[in-house]
Amino acid sequence: MSALSLFNRVLDRLEETLIAILMAAATLLIFVAVVHRYVAGMAIPGLQDWLLSLHFSWAQELCIYLFVWMAKFGAAYGVRTGIHVGVDVLVNRLSPERQKPVILFGLLAGALFTGIVAAMGANFVWHVSHTAQTSPDLEVPMWWVYLAIPLGSSLMCYRFLQVAWRFNRDGELPHHDPGEVEGLDEPMDLPAGVDNIHPIAAGRGAR
Amino acid sequence: MSALIIFGLLLALMLTGMPISIALGLTVLTFLFTMTDVPIQAVALKLFSGIENFEIMAIPFFILAGNFLTHGGVARRMIAFASSLIGHWAGGLGLAGVLACALFAAVSGSSPATVVAIGSILMPAMVKAGFPPRFGAGVITTSGALGILIPPSIVMVLYSISTNASVGALFMAGVVPGLMLATLLGLTTWWRAWRGKYPRQPRATWAQRGRAMRESIWGLMLIIIVLGGIYSGIFTPTEAAAMSAVYAFIIAVFVYKDLKLSDVPRVLLASANMSAMLLYIITNAVLFSFLMTSEHIPQSMAQWLLGAGLGPIAFLLLVNVLLLVAGNVMEPSSIVLILAPILFPVAMHLGIDPIHFGIIMVVNMEVGMCHPPVGLNLYVASGIAKMGITELTVAVWPWLLTMLVFLGLVTYIPAISLAFPRWLGMVH
Repeated sequence: MSALSLFNRVLDRLEETLIAILMAAATLLIFVAVVHRYVAGMAIPGLQDWLLSLHFSWAQELCIYLFVWMAKFGAAYGVRTGIHVGVDVLVNRLSPERQKPVILFGLLAGALFTGIVAAMGANFVWHVSHTAQTSPDLEVPMWWVYLAIPLGSSLMCYRFLQVAWRFNRDGELPHHDPGEVEGLDEPMDLPAGVDNIHPIAAGRGAR
Repeated sequence: MSALIIFGLLLALMLTGMPISIALGLTVLTFLFTMTDVPIQAVALKLFSGIENFEIMAIPFFILAGNFLTHGGVARRMIAFASSLIGHWAGGLGLAGVLACALFAAVSGSSPATVVAIGSILMPAMVKAGFPPRFGAGVITTSGALGILIPPSIVMVLYSISTNASVGALFMAGVVPGLMLATLLGLTTWWRAWRGKYPRQPRATWAQRGRAMRESIWGLMLIIIVLGGIYSGIFTPTEAAAMSAVYAFIIAVFVYKDLKLSDVPRVLLASANMSAMLLYIITNAVLFSFLMTSEHIPQSMAQWLLGAGLGPIAFLLLVNVLLLVAGNVMEPSSIVLILAPILFPVAMHLGIDPIHFGIIMVVNMEVGMCHPPVGLNLYVASGIAKMGITELTVAVWPWLLTMLVFLGLVTYIPAISLAFPRWLGMVH
């Protein structure tokens, strides 16, 4: 079991690092491309020629590919954090014993769907890799890009099975708290800002 | 016939509580495998090309920007600014809450994020100042919904993905209804506070107001960057979203210093998590609407409704009822992605403006976020206020009623949504 838990820990870490880096990279990329577009338009001697020699026409395409990869692996991470929400009005009304098979069915259906998509995607990538298809701007082989589908979807399938396994064993589901960032403390007390403006304590019943 | 099978299957799968994205995907696969001979290759390609669109990428950028703004001290300074301006009126901090929500909505594209950003600071402060807990919770839950009406708005981006309406025009069309709803919610707050004789803040001096404004100016500038940038054509909406993410990062970490550099990876991860979830629903919703189109469902639905002699007034009433009912069980992004492609063709046949129709949908989604059983704002607010959903439901009703009246106005007076973008020349 320890080999498996080590594998899981490495996988978790890789997944988190990958999606956070993809997110940051895409943001920086578009930022640089926009700044470049405007700075290159200014007549700064020397700098302008150099800037004009750079091309960022591929930035949009790369941004899309980065986000597609982020989305496929992020969706797998989302299964682990329980962010994929469903319609739970009906399920919540069932007794706990009846809830269990329904929830397990949902999780296994998720595994089934992502499994099918992974297989279809792999088949698709295999076909594309035998063609000379390249992307329009970056001119990278298209199958590199499409590889996100089988890889991401397999991982997602694994996550669904993992969550189903743990739910079956412990009866616990991952739960996502909307709007919260894990590990960051919310300033719950009266912040300095509100008090600073009105040094006198708020008067009660001003009328 | 096939429409019945598709919707029956989708509904059955969704009611088991499985993720909506999975229910959509499984419906499509089951139908395609058993009833048609659409090549599976086409489906595989759709799985990828569904989100291969630069407009969609505004969503992860706006989510990232929103997270930086929420945790980076921008909300806190906006609250201070708002309360220095109108805190001395009846309703004090409550009115300031409405204004702060409106200001924050103008830099953030999500309603629950607005509730978290403003509510986690203001709700405890209001209780401490002597307001009944219900009052604060009611104000923030409903005013937070302004997040998706006042641009930028993630729900508007989703609508434009489903219908090819212009994101820029939608954003501009949200300005006037957003300000109007903020005013109406403010009036409701003022009236309740005036009757209940709730506490006021001492009047701030102009020097204090000036200081509060200088403090919050970094956040306020973002409104100009995003809206001005899109309107003047300096940025596309997606680029504006990316710029605001970088800008929000800089002010959170280097100007306000409320966020440590070591917290940034966690913010990135949380944003990626939320974005990936939305993009995954989009992928599967695109697949679903591909199935609908290949089965000619929207067209036959349009013909059937028109054949029944439905006019624009009755149709819009039907749309509102349908969306409010859907808002009872699903969250907004899924509703827009599933229902917009179906309702949109009918609306076009009836001569309803695509932008106006988008605003109607967004206002419906706002109402849906504020009432049980799945109002996301309610859940977020109940977590912050430590108040049960049932009690919170009672707490929001005066504002919810105001929102329903506003929904009626927006539905039947197109000028509220269209006058401003028309004046800017973005809608004809």
